[in-house]
Amino acid sequence: MKYKKIKNHTYNLHIIKTKKFKTVTVQVCFKSLLDKEGITYRNLLINVLCQACSKYKTKRLMSIATEDLYELTYQASNYISGKYNVMCFDITFLNDEYTEEGNFESSLDFLCELLFNPLIEVTHSSTKFKKDNFALAYNLLEENIKTIKESPYYYSKMRLFEIMSPNSMHSYRSCGDIDTLKSITPAKLYEYYLNMLKKDILDIFVIGNVSEARIRSAISNRIKIRTIKKKSESHFISMKRTRLLPKTVIENQDISQSQLALGYKLDKTSDFERRYVLNVLTYILGGGSDSKLFKEVREKNSLCYSITSIGVPLQNAMIITSGISASNFKKAVALIKKNVKSMQQGSFSEEDIMKAKVTYINSIKELEDNPQNLLSMYTGIEYLKSDDIDGRIKKISKVTKKDITRLASKMHLDVIYMLKGAENED
Amino acid sequence: MKTELVKMDLDMYYKKLDNGLDIYIVPKDNVNSIYVTLTTKYGSIDSEFVPYDRTGMTKFPLGIAHFLEHKVFEQKDGVDPFTFYSERGCDANANTSNFKTTYLFSGTNFFDENLNYLLDYVQDPYFTDENVEKEKGIIEQEIRMYDDSPYYKLYDRILHNAFKIHPIRYPVAGNISSIKKITKEDLYTCYHTFYNPSNMFLVVTGNVDYKDVINIVSANQEKKKFKKYKEIKRKVYDEPDTVSLKEASTTMDIEIPKVGIGYKIRNNSNVDINKFRTYIGMFFDIKFGTVSEFNEKIREEKITTLDLDITIVNTDKHVLVILSVDTNKKDELLNKIDEELKDIKIDENDFNRKKKVKKSSVIYKSDSIYAINNKIMANIIKYGKVITDEHKFIDELNYQELNEIINNIDLSNKTIYTINKKD
Repeated sequence: MKYKKIKNHTYNLHIIKTKKFKTVTVQVCFKSLLDKEGITYRNLLINVLCQACSKYKTKRLMSIATEDLYELTYQASNYISGKYNVMCFDITFLNDEYTEEGNFESSLDFLCELLFNPLIEVTHSSTKFKKDNFALAYNLLEENIKTIKESPYYYSKMRLFEIMSPNSMHSYRSCGDIDTLKSITPAKLYEYYLNMLKKDILDIFVIGNVSEARIRSAISNRIKIRTIKKKSESHFISMKRTRLLPKTVIENQDISQSQLALGYKLDKTSDFERRYVLNVLTYILGGGSDSKLFKEVREKNSLCYSITSIGVPLQNAMIITSGISASNFKKAVALIKKNVKSMQQGSFSEEDIMKAKVTYINSIKELEDNPQNLLSMYTGIEYLKSDDIDGRIKKISKVTKKDITRLASKMHLDVIYMLKGAENED
Repeated sequence: MKTELVKMDLDMYYKKLDNGLDIYIVPKDNVNSIYVTLTTKYGSIDSEFVPYDRTGMTKFPLGIAHFLEHKVFEQKDGVDPFTFYSERGCDANANTSNFKTTYLFSGTNFFDENLNYLLDYVQDPYFTDENVEKEKGIIEQEIRMYDDSPYYKLYDRILHNAFKIHPIRYPVAGNISSIKKITKEDLYTCYHTFYNPSNMFLVVTGNVDYKDVINIVSANQEKKKFKKYKEIKRKVYDEPDTVSLKEASTTMDIEIPKVGIGYKIRNNSNVDINKFRTYIGMFFDIKFGTVSEFNEKIREEKITTLDLDITIVNTDKHVLVILSVDTNKKDELLNKIDEELKDIKIDENDFNRKKKVKKSSVIYKSDSIYAINNKIMANIIKYGKVITDEHKFIDELNYQELNEIINNIDLSNKTIYTINKKD
């Protein structure tokens, strides 16, 4: 596998040449500083661009085109990465060798039609996205935003962040919000789109067995953006600590299982702590079926089916989630607190640390087996200045017990949240 | 025995051990990882059968195969499989479906130990009254987690209402009252009936040498003694062709109502059941899938915002096709679907394009050790053998035959389930 980054004033082209896959994966990422309204704009934009374009006027025609391209798959997503908002479009398709000569270029054409030739209507006074397609995209997003509560797990996680840091970037809902959505018109969204093409930081990743020359020429012939882009800042944005005692919030929903979510804020941490120590710590505490929380809350006390601790390095936080019976709320919280305390006191063994490291190293090695995982690794290197595979393996190996207890002592329970369902008492 | 997996650039090695265990190996040397699955042909639908030590049919509580899966992880010496695999940096897990139970691990290191351990822990059960009791609280939470998902509920209820007696109508995990009845003795009985090597198979895909796998497994199995295998007699269900209940609904704390329609279809043609299932799948995909005009129409008319979801469930005799979607205009949607099905003709171009897509999927699959492994497992469960040349199977699909089959199925035999918004 060979990696090469080609810098250009308007975009970076990342080529990962490998013979491992029969597929080629191309991802185009637009990145801008996070603002609340922008999230909704970008989510709507994804829907508008992915359902129709000037060449394929409906989603159906678009789907037929993908089937004609030997089942090319395309998807788009918009996610929050610390203080940035990243919008990605990616396609995966079979290499020419398994299809026909020129399938690479034809597949890129499809992606570029979708990105750069949207379905618009031009009147004497304005240019805007075509109304009908805009309406379909609008309805889809409206429904997404409205149904967020139908997944109690995601909803409770979202509420936890809102309560931990109200009115800050951390509380922004990644699906967007209804008020902003209502204010968007086809003309306003089109203006946003043009502005995005002009100003967003643009990265293009290509993974597969295609020569560098062919990729360079295919991309430069198709990406017609010529504006010079700003340099990226760090994505990291720490949560402010304001509370001395944790706040407990219980909200009701008509569900069978209650969702428990605990949020911890961290004192000032180093890069090494957030990238590596936090990983080992959350693995030992609640990373899998061999963790402290799994053993104690699930196996010993039968209180839950799943319990997980998740590090949130870009926001300097950690959360713990579990599905429980409402009547076991106090017992579950007490057990979680006890186990976090035991991490602070160093009640875990060298073997526990070893297991966490071996698991991490194993998962890093597996990254190379799958193009989607490779993509997320290379976006991590580009956006978050993450280390490469060798660097990660070296650094995780350096984590010591002292590092872990030190980091655990920097964790402060901020919010205990429960989305309360039925009591389910026997 | 070596067979080529056509168009996948891979070979599959097969061996049956003396104790009856089937081994399938697909080496793939350009990846780092190895994926191993050990499966028993025992799932949630096997709730009534003749146990290994009895002569009469016996009925067990619903959800027992899934309960057993949880308990197989319990080990007498205290080292549980999760700890073992975690020490070696591997992922380990298990799952139960309607038709099978699978234990698995994947990783890049310690392959010999890992494989031996998989066989050892699955083949050495340890159930106590206490550890069985403890599991009930955990599984109760698992069941409640599913209960809160409207999509899961829709699926579950449609299966329940489509079938009258076949146990596929019950959830894989059972229900809270049925799991409470499960005892240690029940678990041992089910275990010894279904976990005999003759009822199991091992699939290994990834960076391995097939000879190593066969040597490791053979040496492991030679050391062990198993109860004599008796062909398992499962209850045969004379499931009627008509749905059990035509329409039902419930309410949940949701924003947008959800509706599902289950078409229960019996193969009345001469083509074999595998081909029949494929034709039915293609027909619904062309009529109601992402490339259908139908989806475009209902979105434009604001009946839905999403495409219809199509799920297919197969039993020995029936194919159940479930169409589901979020909608505020249920009646309009149902009318449109009925209308669409009045004209069952499909375009030959669509048919040929779908064949092309199916062929491409075979190549896509060959890149992933997980997809290859899953394909082998699914083939064995569904067809009793591995389809090694999928392209040939696809080539033999014929437009005329599809039309004849569709002309002869009864699409009025359906069940509708709605989840309404709670006031």
